[in-house]
Amino acid sequence: MSVPLEPAVTERVRELGSAELVVGIPSYDNARTIGHVVRAVAAGLGKHFPGRSAVIVNSDGGSRDGTPQVVASTELGSPQAILARHPLGPVHKILTPYHGLPGKGSALRTIFAIAERLGARACAVVDSDLRSITPEWIELLLGPIVQHNFDYVAPLYLRHKYDGTITNSIVYPLTRALYGRDVRQPIGGEFGFSSRLASHYLARPVWESDVARFGIDVWMTTTALAGGFRVCESFLGAKIHDPKDPGADLAAMLVQVVSAVFDLMETHHDRWAGVEGAEPVPLFGFPHGVGLEPVSVNVERMLGIFGQGARDLGEVWGRALEPATLRDVAALAGAGEPEFRFRDALWVKVVHDFAIAYRRRALPREQLLRSLVPLYLGRTASFVLATRESDAADVEATIRGLADEFVRQKADLRDRWR
Amino acid sequence: MLNEVIRTTLVEFADRVRGFAPNILAMLAILLVGVLAAGAVRFALGFVLPRLGVDRFAERSGLGDVARRAGLTRRPSRTIALAAAWVVLAVFMLLAVAALDVRVAVDLVSRAFAWLPHLLVAIALLLAGGLVAGFARRSVLIAAVNAGLPSARLLASGAHAALFVLFAAMALEEVGLGQRVVLTAFAISFGGVVLALALAFGLAGKEIARESLERLLRRRGPEDEDGLKHL
Repeated sequence: MSVPLEPAVTERVRELGSAELVVGIPSYDNARTIGHVVRAVAAGLGKHFPGRSAVIVNSDGGSRDGTPQVVASTELGSPQAILARHPLGPVHKILTPYHGLPGKGSALRTIFAIAERLGARACAVVDSDLRSITPEWIELLLGPIVQHNFDYVAPLYLRHKYDGTITNSIVYPLTRALYGRDVRQPIGGEFGFSSRLASHYLARPVWESDVARFGIDVWMTTTALAGGFRVCESFLGAKIHDPKDPGADLAAMLVQVVSAVFDLMETHHDRWAGVEGAEPVPLFGFPHGVGLEPVSVNVERMLGIFGQGARDLGEVWGRALEPATLRDVAALAGAGEPEFRFRDALWVKVVHDFAIAYRRRALPREQLLRSLVPLYLGRTASFVLATRESDAADVEATIRGLADEFVRQKADLRDRWR
Repeated sequence: MLNEVIRTTLVEFADRVRGFAPNILAMLAILLVGVLAAGAVRFALGFVLPRLGVDRFAERSGLGDVARRAGLTRRPSRTIALAAAWVVLAVFMLLAVAALDVRVAVDLVSRAFAWLPHLLVAIALLLAGGLVAGFARRSVLIAAVNAGLPSARLLASGAHAALFVLFAAMALEEVGLGQRVVLTAFAISFGGVVLALALAFGLAGKEIARESLERLLRRRGPEDEDGLKHL
């Protein structure tokens, strides 16, 4: 089904006719940063893809701070620009996603549709709140598609060892074990994709669902992996952006991310059930280490919430966890701070049990996933205690160990999923 | 003279018994059919409902929890089958009483049938109350644990009790039992609890209230509390 575009956008697309490269920038109230992002994109296109026709698409969700005007007045040089608006209904304004901008799914759909109509060979999307974007990002996101015929380029950022704990403990290892490809950061705001993949995305019936509203990033990565597309990673360095939604709380964040991953497990069961092991994907760019400045983490608070969960949520966890898993979790609650360890094998069992409980609707789904918060905090506290003195390489090895445990226990998940 | 009176009385009694006997026989026949019908309904529902996934649905929706809390330890499908059998038997018993064709009995049957819809609505209200209260209890418990509140169970039980009492009061009002007493008792209890909580929070917990408001106004995010970022 063709995606409806505004008449002015349709006219502009007709006027441009075609473009080889498209870079999309979804935005919502990003006037402070979007000028820098547009200039970096234009410089990257000019420097790394000279002579190729390129279009920058800004899909704005109804900003009130003059974001589209900033884009319109930014000097672009050779690439053309399209200013589109993606629909942002009242639902989006109330149900703001855990990160990024409201209505990002609608923004991406608009960008995919424009790319398809322009017949673009390669596309990239970058967030509009970036402060660390450089022209090289455009080469790293578009180059693997233009020069090496990849379909999807996932970002790989330089991150502190305590950044992305939901990604590191659930999304990355589970996605890797399920789909058999080692995409280290499946939830990234920036990515590149081929026209073939854009058409595949547009044809999926998800654009009015919660996945489009809250889990669009992990959906794109998973859809590319499950669809058998050629996937690679590009190392982009550090990602620095404007502070994210300050009102977001951990439970809401966890519910949105994990429900998107579990929903996708149901959708792609036929695909992942037959996958064994996990392979690395090609990496572009030059990864380098990161300095580990001390970060304050309140382990005591995390363990307090975990312990209270073990005391008070037994009845709720009993609906999700296998009796043996519940017993092992309860046995952990008495352990003190220095020796507290939430073993990899037990954590994998917890995640698998929750995935199965989510599928069979053992409890209302949001309640079920909110009850995962104390377990997640217990696991995170254990990770922090175990890696206090570790450098980046050691931490990465620890995360890889967990990911391998997910692979080892996959057969059990597959058997129980039936 | 005395003999005549006794003889007349006995004859009249025998006539009355002869006239009433068909009604009694009809009542017994209806009761027998009722017992058989109730047994058949129980057997049929006990066979069909589990195969329709009623037990699974009850567990998922929380109705199983409500039933267990009410002391019903059987599987939900068996409970429904048993309840349906009793309803069938009760209807046949009322019909049997009506077969006696006694004015009092007929009045009783009429009133019972007029009252039945109210009873069914009251039962539905109690079931709905159990579901809503159970859902609220779990939600409050999980939210309180995630927020690290030490009295999570107490808060959850309070929410459960308040909601269930509200639904129970509505159910009692529906069946017309002590309408004013129930309403007044509920209003006094609920108002008293709210006032007590407000006083407790404002006086004993004013520091907590201040901190909560400050935190709310600052709209602190999860990443302010720790150096780590979850995503």
